[in-house]
Amino acid sequence: MTEIGLTWPKNFNEVPKAAFTRKDIYAEEMKRIFFGQEWHPVAHESELPNPGDFKTFRLAGVPLLIARDREGVVRVFYNACSHRGNQLETAVMGNKTEFECPYHRWLFDAKGDLVGCPNHRDFLPGFDKSDYPLAQPRFDSFYGLIFVTLSAETETLTEFLGDSQNTLRELLGGDGRLKLLGYQKVRYDSNWKSYTDNDGYHAPLLHQAFKLLNWQGGKGRQFAATKHGHICFESALSVVSGPTVLKDASLIAFKGQDPSVGSRIVSLFPTFVSTKHLDVINLRFATPVDEETVEVHYAYFAHQDDDEDMVLHRLRQSSNLLGPCGLISMEDASIFHRIHIGNHTPGNAIFQKGVHDQSKLESEFLQNDESGNLPRWEYYRSVMGFERAEA
Amino acid sequence: MTQTDTALEAALDALLLADSSALDGKDMEGWLANYAEEDEASYICRSAENSENGLALGFMYDDCRSRLEDRVTFVNDIWVGTFQDYRTRHFVQRVAYQRVDASTISMRSNFSVFMTPTDSGITQVLAAGQYLDTIRLEKAGALKLLSRRAELDTSVLPRYLVYPI
Ligand code: FES
Ligand SMILES: [Fe+2]
Repeated sequence: MTEIGLTWPKNFNEVPKAAFTRKDIYAEEMKRIFFGQEWHPVAHESELPNPGDFKTFRLAGVPLLIARDREGVVRVFYNACSHRGNQLETAVMGNKTEFECPYHRWLFDAKGDLVGCPNHRDFLPGFDKSDYPLAQPRFDSFYGLIFVTLSAETETLTEFLGDSQNTLRELLGGDGRLKLLGYQKVRYDSNWKSYTDNDGYHAPLLHQAFKLLNWQGGKGRQFAATKHGHICFESALSVVSGPTVLKDASLIAFKGQDPSVGSRIVSLFPTFVSTKHLDVINLRFATPVDEETVEVHYAYFAHQDDDEDMVLHRLRQSSNLLGPCGLISMEDASIFHRIHIGNHTPGNAIFQKGVHDQSKLESEFLQNDESGNLPRWEYYRSVMGFERAEA
Repeated sequence: MTQTDTALEAALDALLLADSSALDGKDMEGWLANYAEEDEASYICRSAENSENGLALGFMYDDCRSRLEDRVTFVNDIWVGTFQDYRTRHFVQRVAYQRVDASTISMRSNFSVFMTPTDSGITQVLAAGQYLDTIRLEKAGALKLLSRRAELDTSVLPRYLVYPI
């Protein structure tokens, strides 16, 4: 692979700002990370609950079609016709058991098989439909969360998730039996790493809501899983008690069963952030658009066992609490932009809170520590082949 | 068209413009004042993509008067000083309306909203879509929004939202 000139600082708590802004680094990230040995979540099966349901998604520019066939089996395809490569499906979601390419009318079923093509007597001698199914990337799933990898060499999904599995399972309602409530989709003027570096991780001082709502920060643990530096947060829920400035306190009410699994965040390398907070279950499918832009699809869920009241409560809470316009997250969205602007300056971004020794990496952190991001940065550095400066 | 229709249309347009003017002026109290005092007064901002797929989730889901009042608190008190501010200009146009009963009218209007962040100074389109409104004809003759759904053609926002659309 190409060698990219960037010297990494010797201290583990420093990240060169140039890594966020350089086009040549972005191009190399595409090869080494997005087309490299990582698993990328692209959908949860509950987004396509019924036979014939499908969803399309661009993963680092690669168009994907995720479809459930008549028998209920979900598969991931490249969303491109196996003839000349025309984009096959244009809808973002829908229900179809067959996909027809309009260009020369090749017809595919939801298993990806080519089931019809007009005038094939004019094709190459020996043309056989069975040689032209829709192409597929490698995919696998974990409690309904569907992952794709664009490399043949990637380890198994189980190995990739490692110790993040239990936190992720709890976040997915314990059993992955979710029910889709809808999406909030947004593009941020931010490098994908500025997004993942600052989403999930919470700076309590940023949020005046916490103070105004008498909301005590929860006590919890944060740990790094696998060499990829996935970040898991586990904390018992802190519920607002006493008066709040809100007239409708249902926005911050907890109606779930067990506050001990109240709050979970799993942030998987490279771009995925997911959270369960109060009664919000939120999976954020994020993908880089270019070195200055990341697109994030916030998907919100209820659980299949919820009664009608609980579904409505989750819907009302999900819409207004944690997304790009949410009471306690709109400021985070603004930080993604401002960090990215600030990264166009010389020098390093410096992590402080929770760092005990600049020359060491740790793997256990307190809830609001910045240092939880550092194992991921070390993994990023090694995948990108950046040499650390000598002491 | 009768005289009364003309007067009614002028009053509907005045309400539409009063809302735009309050939003572009960042006057959240003025925004709230365009809504009926009733408990079920609501403002929901949602992508057409969600609506068309039977998904009720919104960008903003203020389905009762107290949530409308809380929206004023978010902007005026809670979020102050934490975001990059931006100007908006709402362009609105009534497309159709219908009398539902003696005190209720439904109206559909188009909107497009330009935004200009104060830091970059570059103007871009924030969102386009339609307002689906239910309007209350109050006893004193005033018109107020009983429910407004801002249904966004823009399913992928170019930015986080601070102010309602
Ligand atoms: S490209 Fe699809 S049928 Fe030819
Ligand atoms: Fe935050």
